[in-house]
Amino acid sequence: MSSTEQIYTEGELMTIHNDYHHNAYTKVLAHNLTQTSTSAVLSARILQLRAQIALGNQAEVLADISGEEDIPDLAAVQALALYTSDSEAQGLSLAESLAQTQSDNATVQILAATVLAAAGKIEEALALVSKHQGTLEAVALGTQLQLLVNRTDLAEREVKNAKKWAQDSLLVNIAESWVGLRVGGDRYQQAFYEFEEMPVAQSVAEMHLGRLPEAETSLRNAMEDTENEAMQSHAIANLVVVETLAGRGAQAKELLASLQTRMPGHPLLVDLEEKDALFDEFAAKYAPKVKITA
Amino acid sequence: MSSSPNMLTKASPIANTSAPLTSLVRVKIFSRQGPWILVSLHTSTIQLWDYRMGTLIDRYEEHDGPVRGVDFHRTQPLFVSGGDDYKIKVWSYQSKRCLFTLNGHLDYVRTVYFHHELPWILSCSDDQTIRIWNWQNRSLICTMTGHNHYVMCAQFHPKDDLIVSASLDQSVRVWDISGLRKKHSAPTSMTFEDQIARANQNQADMFGNTDAVVKFVLEGHDRGVNWVAFHPNLPLIVSAGDDRLVKLWRMSETKAWEDLILSVGEDKTLRVWDLNKRTSVQSFKRENDRFWVIAAHPEINLFAAGHDNGVMVFKLERERPASTIHQDVLFYLTRDKQVKSYDFQKNTESPSLLSLKKLGSPWIPPRTMSYNPAERAVLVTSPTDNGTYQLINLPRDSSGALEPTDVKQGYGSAAVFVARNRFAVFSFANQQVDIKDLQNNTTKSLKPPTGTTDIYFGGNGNILMITPTQVVLYDIQQKKQLAELAVAAVKYVVWSTDGSCAALLSKHDVTIINKNLEQLSTLHETIRIKSAAWDDAGVLLYSTLNHVKYTLMNGDNGIVRTLDQTVYLVRVKGKALYCLDRNAKPRVLNIDPTEYRFKLALVKRNYEEMLSIIKTSSLVGQSVIAYLQKKGYPEIALQFVQDPQTRFELAIECGNLEVAVEMAKQLDRPKLWSRLATEALAHGNHQTVEMAYQKLRQFDKLSFLYLCTGDQEKSLRMAKIAEHRGDATSRFQNSIYLGDPISRIEMLKEIDMYPLAYATAKSHGLEEECQLILDASGLTEEEIALPDIGKPSDLPHIVVPTHQANWPVKAASFSFFQKALLGEIEDGEDIPIRSDGFRDEEGIDGENGDLQDTNELAEEDDDAVGWDMGEDINVEAESDFVTVDGAEGGTGSSEADGWTRNSPLAADHVAGGSFNTAMQLLNRQVGAVNFAPLKSRFLEIYQGSRTFLPASVGLPPLVNYIRRTVDETDLRKVLPIIPRDLESVATIDLQAGYTAMNSNKLEDGLQIFKRILHTLLVNIVNTQFQVAELERLVSTASEYAIAMSIELARRTVGEDSEAKLKRNLELSAYFTIPKLEVTHRNLALMAALRQAVKHKNNATALSFANRVIANGTSRFTEQANKVKTSCERSPSNKIDIEYDPFAEFDVCAASFTPIYPGTASVACPFDGSKYHTKYKGQLCRVCEVCEIAAPASGLRVFAAAR
Repeated sequence: MSSTEQIYTEGELMTIHNDYHHNAYTKVLAHNLTQTSTSAVLSARILQLRAQIALGNQAEVLADISGEEDIPDLAAVQALALYTSDSEAQGLSLAESLAQTQSDNATVQILAATVLAAAGKIEEALALVSKHQGTLEAVALGTQLQLLVNRTDLAEREVKNAKKWAQDSLLVNIAESWVGLRVGGDRYQQAFYEFEEMPVAQSVAEMHLGRLPEAETSLRNAMEDTENEAMQSHAIANLVVVETLAGRGAQAKELLASLQTRMPGHPLLVDLEEKDALFDEFAAKYAPKVKITA
Repeated sequence: MSSSPNMLTKASPIANTSAPLTSLVRVKIFSRQGPWILVSLHTSTIQLWDYRMGTLIDRYEEHDGPVRGVDFHRTQPLFVSGGDDYKIKVWSYQSKRCLFTLNGHLDYVRTVYFHHELPWILSCSDDQTIRIWNWQNRSLICTMTGHNHYVMCAQFHPKDDLIVSASLDQSVRVWDISGLRKKHSAPTSMTFEDQIARANQNQADMFGNTDAVVKFVLEGHDRGVNWVAFHPNLPLIVSAGDDRLVKLWRMSETKAWEDLILSVGEDKTLRVWDLNKRTSVQSFKRENDRFWVIAAHPEINLFAAGHDNGVMVFKLERERPASTIHQDVLFYLTRDKQVKSYDFQKNTESPSLLSLKKLGSPWIPPRTMSYNPAERAVLVTSPTDNGTYQLINLPRDSSGALEPTDVKQGYGSAAVFVARNRFAVFSFANQQVDIKDLQNNTTKSLKPPTGTTDIYFGGNGNILMITPTQVVLYDIQQKKQLAELAVAAVKYVVWSTDGSCAALLSKHDVTIINKNLEQLSTLHETIRIKSAAWDDAGVLLYSTLNHVKYTLMNGDNGIVRTLDQTVYLVRVKGKALYCLDRNAKPRVLNIDPTEYRFKLALVKRNYEEMLSIIKTSSLVGQSVIAYLQKKGYPEIALQFVQDPQTRFELAIECGNLEVAVEMAKQLDRPKLWSRLATEALAHGNHQTVEMAYQKLRQFDKLSFLYLCTGDQEKSLRMAKIAEHRGDATSRFQNSIYLGDPISRIEMLKEIDMYPLAYATAKSHGLEEECQLILDASGLTEEEIALPDIGKPSDLPHIVVPTHQANWPVKAASFSFFQKALLGEIEDGEDIPIRSDGFRDEEGIDGENGDLQDTNELAEEDDDAVGWDMGEDINVEAESDFVTVDGAEGGTGSSEADGWTRNSPLAADHVAGGSFNTAMQLLNRQVGAVNFAPLKSRFLEIYQGSRTFLPASVGLPPLVNYIRRTVDETDLRKVLPIIPRDLESVATIDLQAGYTAMNSNKLEDGLQIFKRILHTLLVNIVNTQFQVAELERLVSTASEYAIAMSIELARRTVGEDSEAKLKRNLELSAYFTIPKLEVTHRNLALMAALRQAVKHKNNATALSFANRVIANGTSRFTEQANKVKTSCERSPSNKIDIEYDPFAEFDVCAASFTPIYPGTASVACPFDGSKYHTKYKGQLCRVCEVCEIAAPASGLRVFAAAR
């Protein structure tokens, strides 16, 4: 029986969870935990620590939990914090050992799997996450992992199974919408509704629906959200796409430059760089029969 | 010539088929609408025949008693019949039923005819009346009385309002029915007024019959008159009576008469008469049958005669015009015996060169013609007088139809030139061939084989002699028979243009021979073969009655096109098929030679040509594939097929495992996997075998495969899998393969086979185990009697680790064809091939996860015995495995990969990130070779194709793919969004370009138009309509780019020397040539005009001014008018420039010099900009992407929905 499930059944930590999954990390941190029952304190604290990580405050997190690493949940938080800061190798090896030893712990399942997946070990991550005993977060993570390896069918199955026991929970609905953006058709619109509280995700759904001006407006708004840098970067990346599709190459170029300074490792940049090189490589294979000498 | 053989030829088929008719054939009428003939019989039946095929189409049996008259309607699907039941019936042969019956006659109806335009039927009857009926309102409108005996025949005049009738009262009467016509002047429109008028007229009839009055009564026959008819265009009437006379009656005295009549008689003959000489020209006798009736086809030379036992259809005279070919000139004889020539190069017909009116009889056309280029002489034969020939020189200048002056002639049934100064004459009667010189003196005589019927040219110095059973090649010089070939009844010989082979045409067969009379191929047609001609490439085209077909030397044949009328082929040149029709008019038919060219290239293994055919034309898929497969070229067929099933079959057939694997994965059906396994095993490609077995879950086979290949590791895993599956047999098998007695004993114990377990343990000397078993079963060793146990055999060692690689196979070399299709061969792009036959990853997409999974199997950790078992395995099977397959993993392919598969368009490949294939496509489609200018376009498309959805913290965002098919969810149909579509280019970029033009920012403008070209080059459209729009846009952009380049070049030239000034002026003139919008053209014209005026080139200035004025009123009109007035005073040029204001020309986009029409030029395959030929192979100056004049199949921007 996992802590997460208790929260859902008791509803005690409902708000903080919802805030977390709506990416409203500052709200998560604003929650006062003094009223929380002791059984839920750890869960709530972990959520706040994860919110800190999401906001890029890894150092504070590491300082906060130092000395408490023997609690597996906190060790998992540490692994993620390490991995997302500069100590990738350290974080990974910690996550790996946790996956071996504490694979029954729900927090470990999710956070260690996240680290493994981020390190490209999707298979292992999936194996770890699949050990969950009815954790919605694990379902969501599993879904995302399946989508990362382009197995929409398996992701869909994951969501469907979860829906049987967790009908209308926010997280499953969000995960379902992730799948929906791969399936397309009517599912785009469903995802659009589901992403109500998440401006970037909602804009993405609008882009798929072909509503570029609307997407642009909400992305520009999301860019103003200075609290969450990662989210800002995603907003910029998607804005690049919108501008490109609207035929405004100059704006797209500017945005790319700004993304480059903010988050040089963004998948869009990495991908474009790779394609750029690929283009030159392939293009070099062709040449006109007669070269002009002049 | 007493009887025309042509008569018989047509007659036989129908006479035969009609043998079962037992009663008299009464009347036959030809239809104008099809090859049909109506036959009415004495048995009350009417039959509809197809005379070409000799088949009965329908029978109509509603009359009671003999049917004596029938007639087709000219235009409607109707016919009328009248019979001894006094009834006239109108039938529809479409609905195959009698529409209505006209009652009124009181005795046998003899003949019935439709009027040629009015809705009337004319009937005559034994009741001594002739009646006219309106078949539209089904009423009797006129009854003509006057004859006082049976009226045997009554016919309308073909044009005038006259009727002629014949009666047994020995008279022929001509009736004037113009009164009747007036009354019914609007027969087709049934207005109310007409109805009233008609009703009144009918009442008038009661008082006096003025509608039809007798005009003449012709009395001359001594007995009853049976038949009478008008001449179709002369004022003549012909009648035939029981006095055995055919009489001609003139209706006026003004004209001379010349035509033929045909008569049939109960004396069993059919005669053809010459009206002029009043003699019988031909007669034809049937021994046992009396002829009763005859009918002529209304338009073509066909006649039908009915006799006691059937019908024969025949033609009067030979319709094949005599003709001969020399190089590019056809010489032929027209219907009025004029020699004409036709030039294939110029496609022109000459005036008449010579008149041969005097040759032979006027009614018998000449049969053959042979041409001697050295002497410019023709040799013409005519069948007249058992065969005559004439040798005539053609006049040098063809001024008109000349009577020949110097004619040499003689007797002979066939005559052909055999050398420059010799010709051969064959006499059928004497069975002798005379070789004559040009003075018509016999130089030599040969004795042909007995029964020789004809001779033909047989290659230099040789002749071909045709007998009914064989063809003989005869050497004239040596007087020696060189070869013979048994071919029956050859009628024509057609030599190929290079003289290397010839086609022997018989009635139903074509035999192709080489010049040594060796048979190369033969084919049989059920329908009559008419003529043949050779394609320059060595394909024979031949015509039948209604088709043009081809045959290759190897006997392959097929239909090229259908014919609506019979023609005689004379020459094939590319897509033009030249032929003579039956009126001896040269005609050019368009044909599509693709199919036979392709087949020919295939036979000759000329892959370059095949490739170019594939690229440039659309071969019809299925038939070509079937053909290739049938002919044993599966590897080539493979290149055409899309359908995975067929591809799989072909791949297996030609041993292309790689493709087979790919297709099997796509289809994923057990049957295919097992076939693949068999084939791969034969190739020693055990990796593929392994995959197939895995897919099939054939664990036993897998185990054995691992044993054979010495893959112990995997054998071990198989043992483990067997254990998981709880399959004892399999475990047993695996433990034997592995030489592992322990596990075997374990297994035997598990299934309570203690005796066997004991024996196994004992035989392997595992005493401890023995003891345990004994303990378990509560027995002692002594209680067990074991047979004599030998020593367990040692497990053989693995000598060669076969499993590490497939059997070495000679590196699969692609055929030229495959290479060419995979990537342009010219580019030297080589796709590396691993020896195991799998292409390296990078080469081609479609190599997705599954295969790697199996290969990675060895690396996975021991417990996870999970390989991808595929998704389509049914649920029951899967449930067994859930425990085993921990992670049912495997990476799928992304949607973007799917785009590449779903679309043949370069833009979609770009969006899918497959730049490699996109470039290949562009290279193939428009000869793109310089991709650098397209880079930003490529990246732009790619960049706009996917979104980034933030999901879990710490993980990369989920990438999703933006579709242009928003409502589509089938992954095989989804396609990516492509930025900057046609509309945005047209509304934004094009306008920007125009603005640049208006504001004279030409450098910017040039860049804009080039960018437009690049954007359009990698783009998609959504409808076929938009394709044309895109093409228009491309050409507009190209024109503007050229125009701007010209002007920019001019600005750099300067004016400081005379040569530079000249060039400057020229360029300013050329600037006006590209097809710009009128306002921009005016800008160019005004610039050129100012330049010309400035340097006193008034003539050109004037022409510019005129053009500005011609472009309509604009702000320049006034200025142009001024210039015009001033220039007209002295319209001369001070500086002579190369610009002709009156010539239409293009401007070379590289040299900016004119390309005049008629001079050779090359073009960019994409934007169509023109270049002088010396720029061929260089980069297009306009788009800067494509190679000028590169072979290209054309840009594709639209894929119709599948």
